[in-house]
Amino acid sequence: MLSFFDPLLILGAFCICGYGFYRRAALWRIGTAEHRTDNLGARSRTTLSQIFGHGRILRERVPGLMHLFLFYGFVIPFLVVILFQLFFSLPPPFGNIFSLILDCVGFLGLVGIIIAFIRRYIQKPTRLESTPQDAIGLALISCILLFGFLVEGFRMGSLVTPASVWSPVGSVVAGVFHGLGLSRLLHATLHGVVWRIHFLLILGFIAYIPYSKLFHILVSPLNILLRSHGPKGALQSIDIETAETFGVSTIKEFTWKQLLDLDACMQCGRCQDRCPAHLSEKPLTPRKVISDLKNHLHSEGPKVLKMKAESGSDAGADQTLVGETIAEDELWACTTCRACMEICPVYVEHVDKIVDMRRYQVLMESRFPQEVVATFKNMETNSNPWGIGWAARADWSEDLEVKTLSESSDADILFYVGCAGSFDERYKQVAVAFVKILRAAGINFAILGTEEKCCGDSARRIGNEYLFQMMAMENIENMKNYGVERVVTLCPHCFNTLKNEYPQCDGLFHVVHYTEFLSDLLSNGQLRLVKECDRTIAYHDSCYLGRYNDIYDAPRKILSMIPGITRVELERWGANSFCCGAGGGRMWMEELIGQRINEVRIEEILKKKPNIIGTACPYCLTMFEDGIKAKDAEEQLVAQDLIELIARSME
Amino acid sequence: MNIVVCMKQVPDTETRIKIGSDGRSIDPADVEWIVNPYDEYAVEEALQMKERTGAGEVVVVSVGNERATTAIRSCLAMGADRGILLKTEHPFGDTFSIAEALANLLKEMEFDVLLFGKQAVDDDNAQVAQLVAHMLDLPCVTVVTKLEIEGSTAKAHREVEGGTEIVETSLPSVFAAEKDLNQPRYASLKGIMTAKKKQIEEKETQLGHFKIEVIEMLKPPPRPEGRIVGEGREAVPELMQLLKNEANVI
Amino acid sequence: MANGVLVFAEQRDGVFRGPAFEALTQGRRLAGQLGTDLSAAVLGSGIAGTVEVLKEYGVDAVFVADSEHLARYTTEGYADVFSKIVREKNPSIVLMPASSLGRDLAPRVAAHLETGLITECTALEISDGRLLGTRPVYAGKALIKTFVKTDPQMATLRPKVFSAETISESKETHVEQVDVTTGAERIRAKVIEFQSSGGDRPELTEADIIVSGGRGMGNADSFNVIEDLADALGAAVGASRSAVDAGWRPHPDQVGQTGKTVSPSLYIACGISGAIQHLAGMSSSKYIVAINKNPDAPIFKVATYGIVGDLFEVVPALTEEVKKLQAA
Repeated sequence: MLSFFDPLLILGAFCICGYGFYRRAALWRIGTAEHRTDNLGARSRTTLSQIFGHGRILRERVPGLMHLFLFYGFVIPFLVVILFQLFFSLPPPFGNIFSLILDCVGFLGLVGIIIAFIRRYIQKPTRLESTPQDAIGLALISCILLFGFLVEGFRMGSLVTPASVWSPVGSVVAGVFHGLGLSRLLHATLHGVVWRIHFLLILGFIAYIPYSKLFHILVSPLNILLRSHGPKGALQSIDIETAETFGVSTIKEFTWKQLLDLDACMQCGRCQDRCPAHLSEKPLTPRKVISDLKNHLHSEGPKVLKMKAESGSDAGADQTLVGETIAEDELWACTTCRACMEICPVYVEHVDKIVDMRRYQVLMESRFPQEVVATFKNMETNSNPWGIGWAARADWSEDLEVKTLSESSDADILFYVGCAGSFDERYKQVAVAFVKILRAAGINFAILGTEEKCCGDSARRIGNEYLFQMMAMENIENMKNYGVERVVTLCPHCFNTLKNEYPQCDGLFHVVHYTEFLSDLLSNGQLRLVKECDRTIAYHDSCYLGRYNDIYDAPRKILSMIPGITRVELERWGANSFCCGAGGGRMWMEELIGQRINEVRIEEILKKKPNIIGTACPYCLTMFEDGIKAKDAEEQLVAQDLIELIARSME
Repeated sequence: MNIVVCMKQVPDTETRIKIGSDGRSIDPADVEWIVNPYDEYAVEEALQMKERTGAGEVVVVSVGNERATTAIRSCLAMGADRGILLKTEHPFGDTFSIAEALANLLKEMEFDVLLFGKQAVDDDNAQVAQLVAHMLDLPCVTVVTKLEIEGSTAKAHREVEGGTEIVETSLPSVFAAEKDLNQPRYASLKGIMTAKKKQIEEKETQLGHFKIEVIEMLKPPPRPEGRIVGEGREAVPELMQLLKNEANVI
Repeated sequence: MANGVLVFAEQRDGVFRGPAFEALTQGRRLAGQLGTDLSAAVLGSGIAGTVEVLKEYGVDAVFVADSEHLARYTTEGYADVFSKIVREKNPSIVLMPASSLGRDLAPRVAAHLETGLITECTALEISDGRLLGTRPVYAGKALIKTFVKTDPQMATLRPKVFSAETISESKETHVEQVDVTTGAERIRAKVIEFQSSGGDRPELTEADIIVSGGRGMGNADSFNVIEDLADALGAAVGASRSAVDAGWRPHPDQVGQTGKTVSPSLYIACGISGAIQHLAGMSSSKYIVAINKNPDAPIFKVATYGIVGDLFEVVPALTEEVKKLQAA
């Protein structure tokens, strides 16, 4: 039914779409360079599996299904109908099956639209902010779907036997028109009109894509394709010797991929629903950070392009972001828990942007919460955040006569103790218990003793890349000098940093977290737990063990090996676990706005009534002990490290 | 406004002090060296003064051996303009000889404000600011917690028993910073990079005759072993007795 | 030939201060050992009648510099006059209290006299006829024993380390007015105002004794048991981070990592578990008393003396005992 001009119309629609895409892609290119095109095979695989499998989107049932219905209800007919109607047709048996499938997915699409309308305009969850664009987009899609069925109905209505089991929805529509008793001519005319409206709507839709939220159809797959394929837990490194400026101050200083991220975000708000800062009434929400940056990009970016075109200058968009677009309280509220990044259907990298902006504040402006000055200085001088003399680092091990590498370089594994195990009175007990376990299992291990430095996690995440690199280099050099190959850590932050970030500084070691290490020892019988523990325990997944390194099973396996123990899962566990509040350097900052994150978590824990909240992280342990005290729950609940439970259950 | 800050490099306050082989000074091995914390307040105050007036120079002066350049560099990273090291191989000079060396240099310099920390946290003498001030015939206000400069007069707050004295003085003048004077800034990486290019002038210096002589350095009597005195209010009388007769603190 | 021990007897508004008596007591002891005289110098305005009390400390002579320029302490005015007295009287030892005033004045005087000064002494003795002072360095992590090689040998005495003791028998004391020629124009730094700190409690960082409360206080009102004890002891009130976070005390009261670092001679921690953030701010205190109901609280690891028990019983009992002691 295409007329002579229609190909031109189609071409026009695609040109408008292409031009829009080009304009938006030009904005990304005001950003700095970044290499994201390695590994194309793996990249394509994840992209296709996310597009067609909807894995991440379906992590939320209702909105996930809504999108799945819309996707298959719209995209499949869209592609198939165009291809098949324009170019060829199938023999009836196949055609019938196709027809049935199309009818069904089209119907699901309508269901999806209804869910979308209900969610956005009736339920109105706080995380959704509606703009006219959303209404236009939804209206367009619904019209296209409706008119699709109208076209089908008219087509079938003109047939002798309009009803067909292969087109259930079409049959119903056809039945209606059939019942109206329209003349053949009118029927045919209306069919033509409806068909044309449907056709024009589709063209309008195509043209509208890059100018609206529908852009996600193009940019989401692209963003998934170009997502980071490095280890999840590693922040980008800065070459301090060659860089002229450090971190991000203006929108142009983000990489093109970070800017692409901004356009890829559809403001679905799943990140916001999981952000510990937002949920404890702090001004930060990852959704808003991305949307504010995006608005800034769209208002200032074109000026940069214009100036470049007119005078070839690099000026424009020179406003500093922090203090203007992003408030300082937002910037410093982030615990880098990664809940936002883990849930984001399009793999937006929120934490990296926040750390990049922090870096500029710390490295260029020296502007950050006052209490962190002491933390930095303590790390500089004594290589631990508390500022206790570095010479006291191995004092905890004195009575145990733990060997240092300088005394016994033939150890099989380095026990990297970390600052908490070395200095925090509470966590020293855990370090001591760990030594006892290692000895019981006959492990030949050693520590670095006073040569050990802070791993640098907090410094790096607060934005002090320089301090991080200094401490990392010293640790790596020491470890290399002793020929260290294997390392076991207590703290998930040390673990993540040594495992995922030290390779950036040429520190390649085989690093394991104690939960993995001990779970192996328990499995192969090197370690046996015999004493009964008649308690109910809930395990809290620490961010840097769970979301950062996907270690969820090992700690649970350990607990299942303790005789007599009862295990309960918290409401938010595994990848959905809720931060204790101490990550991202928040451990060293005052928490003055809103509720305390650790107390929010303790309230949640208390609901499940465990006797013990088990952790495998010194930060979580401190935060929970504080939270339990604050909630006056000392009688009901104690916080303990898994190591303590293991030690108590040994022979 | 031209400001000179006299700064001393000292062992970090967390350093484990070991008595050196001479029995009169510390063993410098394993010592982390830092800018004397009180001098950091002085440097910060100098930088703020310069920022307020928008002109002038902040010069950091130190007496010490080669190692002290790292401390001067730290001050330059905070934002000071240049440094001068009065280089001597005798890092543990007495206060008088050090004050003389400083005064000899400062006589040749022009400044409106001369700042010190109220004391160095190594030997805790708290003398040099007043000694230098007298040698240069300048007024001096010590333990300053607030400093306001207007034209050629300064108003300084100093903490004393029971209150705060507000002292007015004419410039040039000497001030010795107390802890609450300001919040010293943390040097940015930009500052550290810039500081690498700033000038540190080294001047070989002979310290004069010492007025005091340390004959022995010794460890203080060990901290009394901690113990649980008892439980509940019944333990109070014994605690009192200990505080009074053993600790002599009340 | 220098001879005798001269003590700077600090007074304010005609009242001599404790540290002055402590210095006089030590001066008397040293003079006795050397077999020489003890004299005192008093600077101020309208103070002639107040020096009587010094006789109880066995001084042989009192030199009084009475001038309206000396009514209020100025470094330059006092240094000029006092060094003039020292030059004239030519003592071999000059002792001053290491009070706020003494700490400010002594080095200036030493500069005038071009002599050596040992500050903040915690012990004084005579060795081979010379003054040997012992003083803490490195925040008390070491002690040094020091001679002054020049005359007069100057030293300041850390307050509250030495006791003040009067003599029982009466003694002939020679009181002498000294000529004061210091012109006001030579004093450039002047106190134009004195702001009393209002509350009688000392500053946290300067306090000799601090009583601190933590999470165990339960609420803001219960801090009155802390305040009562602090007032009985003349101590400052501190708080742990959790007490400040809970809004029971203002932030300036916070002791610890993100608050103030203190090192009083006595730190009484009530209901403070001893989180590392807190220990970082107070572990250099000379003596630490911990009162906590949890016997495993980490605070007991650093405490010199601990009482396991309910602070609401223990602290008021302690306050009572302190008051009893002071009444006695």
